[in-house]
Amino acid sequence: MNLELIWDNLPQLLKAFLVTLELSAVSIAGSTAIGLVVGALRTSRVPVVSQLARAYVEIFRGSPLPITLLFVYFGAALYLGYSVELFVASAVGLSIYHGAYVAEIFRSGIEAVPTGQREAAQTLGLSPMQTFRYVVLPQTRRIVFPPLIGQYISLIKDTSIAFVIGMVELMKAGQAIVDRTAEPVPVYLTIAALYFVICYPLSLWVRRNERKIVPA
Amino acid sequence: MTATTAKEQSIASSIQLRAVTKAFGSVQVLKNIDLDVASGKVVVLIGASGSGKSTVLRIMSGLETADSGEVVVGDVPMHDPKRAPEIRGHVGMVFQQFNLFPHLNALGNVTLALRKSLKMSKAEAREVGLRCLERVGMQDRCANYPSQLSGGQQQRVAIARALAVNPRIMFFDEATSALDPELVGEVTSVMRSLAADGMTMVVVTHEMGFAHRTADRVVFMDDGVIAEQGSPEQVLKDPQHPRTQQFLARVLEA
Amino acid sequence: MLYQWRSVLEYLPDFLRAMGLTLWITLLAFALALVCGLGAALARNSKNAVLRLGAGAYVEIVRNTPVLLQIFVVFFALPSFGLRMDAVTAGTVAIGVNVGGYLCEVFRAGISSVARAQREAAQVLGLSSRQAFISVIAPQALRNVYPATVNNLIQVLLGTSLLTAIAVPELTGVATVINARTLLFVQVFAIALVLYLVLSNALSFASGLLGRVLFKPPLEQVRPGLWPVRRARTITTTAEVAA
Repeated sequence: MNLELIWDNLPQLLKAFLVTLELSAVSIAGSTAIGLVVGALRTSRVPVVSQLARAYVEIFRGSPLPITLLFVYFGAALYLGYSVELFVASAVGLSIYHGAYVAEIFRSGIEAVPTGQREAAQTLGLSPMQTFRYVVLPQTRRIVFPPLIGQYISLIKDTSIAFVIGMVELMKAGQAIVDRTAEPVPVYLTIAALYFVICYPLSLWVRRNERKIVPA
Repeated sequence: MTATTAKEQSIASSIQLRAVTKAFGSVQVLKNIDLDVASGKVVVLIGASGSGKSTVLRIMSGLETADSGEVVVGDVPMHDPKRAPEIRGHVGMVFQQFNLFPHLNALGNVTLALRKSLKMSKAEAREVGLRCLERVGMQDRCANYPSQLSGGQQQRVAIARALAVNPRIMFFDEATSALDPELVGEVTSVMRSLAADGMTMVVVTHEMGFAHRTADRVVFMDDGVIAEQGSPEQVLKDPQHPRTQQFLARVLEA
Repeated sequence: MLYQWRSVLEYLPDFLRAMGLTLWITLLAFALALVCGLGAALARNSKNAVLRLGAGAYVEIVRNTPVLLQIFVVFFALPSFGLRMDAVTAGTVAIGVNVGGYLCEVFRAGISSVARAQREAAQVLGLSSRQAFISVIAPQALRNVYPATVNNLIQVLLGTSLLTAIAVPELTGVATVINARTLLFVQVFAIALVLYLVLSNALSFASGLLGRVLFKPPLEQVRPGLWPVRRARTITTTAEVAA
C-alpha cells in the first residue's frame, strides 16, 4: 500500500475532515432545535398542530436524504443564485431531515412521562410552558439521550451525503484524490479511520447507556 | 390426569432438605435449612421478603443449585448436578408473574410440554390440555392469549400448564401476590382443591387465610433460617418466636 | 405552472421504471442484509473466538463509517483486488452488507429481550434447552425484532438513493437527470419524493399485514410512532372463542 500517498494528501484530508466536523456540529444543533419543537408539537392536544407535526415527521422519515438536500440546494439556488453557500444548504438540509428523526425521539421521551406529573404541575399552578420546561423535559433526559446520540452518529455519517450536491467535505475531498491518483484503497482506509474515530466512541457510549430493548 | 406412566409412579413425592446453604455473591440467603415435606402434605412457607422462602422453592424445583447440603425431591438427589435435571417435568411450578408464553394461547401453553417433552400426539395433548384447563375452570377460554386474560385467569392457566405433565409435587411461588385482591380467591380455591386431591405442595404465600385453612404445616423463615414451624394453629395463633410474632402482627394489621 | 407539471409528467414512465429498479435493489439488498445479520448474530454468540471477533469487527466498522463510503469501497476499491462488479450489483452488495450490521444487533437484542423467566418456566416444564429455544424463545424473539427489522427494510429503501453517486439509474439518479434536462426542480423532486413515500408506506403497510398473519396474538403496530394505534387489550368473549 502506498503510505506516501496518504502522507502527501493528509493535510488536505484533515482540512476536509474539519469541514465535516463543522457541518456535523451545526447540523446537530439545527436538527435538535427542530426536533425539540416538532416533537413537542407532536404531543400537542390541538389536533391540527399535532397532525402537521406528524406529517413533517412522516415525510422526512419516509424519503431519502439526497432528495431533501437536492430540494434545498436547488431551491436556494433559484432564489439566491448559484453562489449559494454549499455549506449552508447542506446544514439546512441535514437539519431539516434529521430533525424529523430527532422529533420522534423527543416525542417518545415526552410520552413516557406519566400524565400524573403534568397534572401535579398543573395543580401547583405552573403554566403549560413551565410544566414542559421544568417538569416534563428534565424527566425525558434518561430516555432521550442514548437514542439522541445514536441519531447524531447517523447525522455525522450522513454529512458524507452532501457529496450529492457537490459539497466538499471529507468524502468528496477523498474521492477527488481517488480520481486524481487512481489509488482508492489507501484513501478510503484513511477516510474510514477518520469517521470511525469520531463515531465509535459515541457508539460505545450509546451501548453502555441504552435501555435493553430492541432498537427500532 | 388419571393415566400415570410407570416412570411417574416410581417417583416418590416427598422432599428432604438437609443443611442447605445458598449465597448470592456475598449475601448468604440460606444459612442452614432442614426441611421435610411428606407425600401428600401441604407446607406453607411464610416470612418477610428476603427471608429466603423463594430461594428454597427455586432450589427444590431445580432452578437454583444449593451451595452445600442435601436436597432430595421425590427420589432425585438435586445436589448431584448430573441427576438434578431428572426432576424436570416431574414437578410443577407456579410463578408470581405467571410466566405464561405470550405467543401461545391458553391451550398452547398447557400442551407445549406434552407435545415437546412427552411427545404426545396433537389430539392426545389437546385432550389432556382441555382436561387440565377444565380442572381450573378455564376450558372456555382455551383459545385466548395471555394478554386477553385477567391476572387471575392467567394464573389459573399457569396452574393448568404445570398440572398437565402430571407432577407429583407442586410449588407455588407467591402465586397470588401479583393479583388484584378480588382475583385472589379464584386462584386459592384451585390450590385448595389440588390439596384436597392429595397433591404434595410447597407454597410461598402471604395469604394467611390460605395457610390457616389448607396447610398441614406452616414454616416461618427469617433471615435465611427456619425460625419456627408447626401446625397452622400453633404457628399462626400461638407463635413462640419473637420474630414470628412481629411478622404476624405486621401482616395481620395490613 | 400547469404546463410545467405537464412537461415533467412526460417523464413519468422514466420515473416509474426507476422506481421499479429502486424496489428491486431494495428487496435484493434486504435479503442479503437478513443473511448477513443472522450470520453475524450467530457468529457473535458463537464459542469460537475468531468468529466472534470477526463478526464484532464487521458490525463496528459497518456501523461507524458512512454507507456512501462503503458503496465507494465496493465499487471503486474492490476492483483493485480483482472483484469487479457493475454499479447495481456493487450498490446492492454494499447496502446489504451495511444494513446486515444493524440487523445483527437487532437480532441479538431480540434474543436477549426474552425474559429469563420464560426460560425458567420452560425448564420446569421439562423442555430441553434446544426445545425451549425453538418453541419458547425464538417465536417471541422474532416477534420482538419484527418492527425493528421492518424499520431496517425502510432504511435499505432510503439507502438505495445513494447509488446515484455511482450512476445507478434508480429513482434519485433519474430525478437528477430529469432535473438537469428540465430545470424544474420543484416538480421533479416533488414527484420523486411522493414516489419514495409511496414505496416506504407500501413496504411498511405490507410488512404490517404480514406481521398480522405471522404472529399470534397479532402484532398491532409495526412502526410505533408513525401510525399510533391505541393498544387495545381486548378480552375476547366466550362466544367469540367458540365461534
